[in-house]
Amino acid sequence: MLNVDLLINGLIIGLFYALMAVGLTLIFGILRVINFAHGEFYMVGAYTYTFAALKLGTGPWFALPLAFAAGALVGWLAERTLMRPLYTGYTSWGLMRDEYSVVVTFALSLLLINLVDKVVGPYSQRGPALVDIPRMALGPIMLSGQKLVATAVAAAMIAGLALFIRYSSWGRQIRAVAQNRLGASLAGIDTTRASSLVFTLSGALAALSGALLAPIINASPDVGAFPAIKSYVIVVLGGMGSMPGSVVASLMLGVLESFGAVYISYDYRDTFGLVILMLVLIFRPQGLFGEKGREV
Amino acid sequence: MTNDLSWLLKFIVAAVVASAALAANAADPIKIGISITQSPPGSVVQGTQVKDGVEIVKDMVNKSGGVLGRPIELVYEDNQGIPEKGRAATEKLITRDKVVAVTGGHQSSVCLAEIEVAKRYNIPYVNTNCWADAVRTKGYPQVFNAPIYSSRVAESIAETIVKLGLKRVVAFCENTDYGIGQAKAIAEALKQKAPGIDYKYETLDRAGKDFTPAILPLRANPPDMVLMVMLPPPAYIVMNQLYEQGVAPTARTWLYDSSGLADYPDFWQNVKEAGKYMLNFALYHPQMKLPKLAQEVGQAYRQRTKNEPNRLIFQAADSLLFIVDAIKQAKTTDPAALIKTMANMKFEGTRGQFRIAKEPGARYQQMVDIPSVTYQITEVNQATGKTLLIEGPGMPLATAKLLKPAK
Repeated sequence: MLNVDLLINGLIIGLFYALMAVGLTLIFGILRVINFAHGEFYMVGAYTYTFAALKLGTGPWFALPLAFAAGALVGWLAERTLMRPLYTGYTSWGLMRDEYSVVVTFALSLLLINLVDKVVGPYSQRGPALVDIPRMALGPIMLSGQKLVATAVAAAMIAGLALFIRYSSWGRQIRAVAQNRLGASLAGIDTTRASSLVFTLSGALAALSGALLAPIINASPDVGAFPAIKSYVIVVLGGMGSMPGSVVASLMLGVLESFGAVYISYDYRDTFGLVILMLVLIFRPQGLFGEKGREV
Repeated sequence: MTNDLSWLLKFIVAAVVASAALAANAADPIKIGISITQSPPGSVVQGTQVKDGVEIVKDMVNKSGGVLGRPIELVYEDNQGIPEKGRAATEKLITRDKVVAVTGGHQSSVCLAEIEVAKRYNIPYVNTNCWADAVRTKGYPQVFNAPIYSSRVAESIAETIVKLGLKRVVAFCENTDYGIGQAKAIAEALKQKAPGIDYKYETLDRAGKDFTPAILPLRANPPDMVLMVMLPPPAYIVMNQLYEQGVAPTARTWLYDSSGLADYPDFWQNVKEAGKYMLNFALYHPQMKLPKLAQEVGQAYRQRTKNEPNRLIFQAADSLLFIVDAIKQAKTTDPAALIKTMANMKFEGTRGQFRIAKEPGARYQQMVDIPSVTYQITEVNQATGKTLLIEGPGMPLATAKLLKPAK
């Protein structure tokens, strides 16, 4: 029974990791940079959801799309004002100033954490549950109504995103830019718009993740650090830029942490992912689903 | 005649210059350094409360004319709850800001780093909320301790566990000097008081967000008590996940908090049903008899924040009052003289009258004896004043009063 509990819990947590990590993967796929402020997009979502539902009285179900929109706005603004100088005027990745993105996204992360700390205050805030069932038994499994609904919404969002990327016109443009920015540009695709769209989507997904988890993992200024660190591990583990890789790696990590915490030691829970990451980097450096090369 | 006039003129000029200098000196504020967490990853919640407590006392002292005719100025440094930053903050306060004493420390790991600097510069360091015994056992004469200490807390908790007649206790402690130190101290106290009790502790990452894997094994084999040795915000998440998994509090398992969680203003915002029936070890309860000074500080805190005061407010207030008292008694701001005075002081603060213990070990330069209580929360959103006081100064543990969930 314990093993079933651990498996289900690991998959649920893995799904939440996935919702965070796919946004980061998309950004890496398109821009080839790591966004160090990704965790803070999560935090923006958690706070927007909590404040909209509790202070503005919108109710949790209306607060959810508001958080999604707030994350999209922050993502769009970050791309428009901070990231665009990175590639404006360049069509070749070789000319891009990668170190700029590290500095600027790290600074954005610190700015957002401290801004929220000063404006909202240091006290953590628990968001209201979408479904007010503090705990329930589903067969042998105990979980809250919020966890169940959040899991369903997260799964639906990931599936929706996969369909969007696979079949929509914008999704095809994103994939084309991810494969070859110069080639996509020559084919008439607006690569700048694709980059902007990806940052907006990434911000929205991270914020949605924060909103869904706000009733479980209370919002606080530094709440984004934990999911962001997991996401960085997942992105490399799954293969940088690979969406299916991110989802599989997220679920694997969730399950591995869940079992490892009980059968090895809880103290080393965060180490398991790093050990797997090191092994993958040694034996399969391109990650589980990554490509060996992208140059054309 | 001309010589006499010239002498008189010189004397007047000298007197004017001297008195002007004296006046300037008299008006110069006495600087006291406050090193607290004002930004993550440390406990900003605690830092904010410590700041509130010292600000209230600063205003009270300055309104009543200051100390030695000079106002107090508090110089803040943000240590972010990181030991290295605390060390740098203390160094800056002492060398650049020229403070006469440092206080505010509220996280044991940071205190342990900061006291090394205070020792090197021979500056008094008044620990506001660091419970770890190690802060005292180092035996630094510069360090004075306003809060309770881990082994004393452990003794109280062990006594409660024994009186409740429990057989198996599992503690969740955070991976900090405070958490691990406290969990080990409880193990030691239980070994002495009731070696038959099966006690084990699980260390949880303070930065963690999902603690379910640590909780799930308890579902199959529930203990008699889950003991929390954690601070917010992770403590709230653990409580909610314990409740969600039906582990504690239940008819079978007590939930016992050893770190004053219910004192924090954001407690009920972050836990709902998970807080009902929880037992609390605490250093303050509104039903305790409080000195007039505490009532004034409490009132000022209510006006300032619209929140109820808690032990951190009083500990912070006492830390600064202790320094102010030492300056008054020593009649100087010379740090070496202050250390000497503090070591022999009898001190009246918001929590009563204290003396400074001299014996080496966990009580070294500790304000003794700090009163403690045990109370139980019996309703969701219950104000601390309305909770069920079951043990306190001069009041033995009333186990018959305790409530448990029906199932």
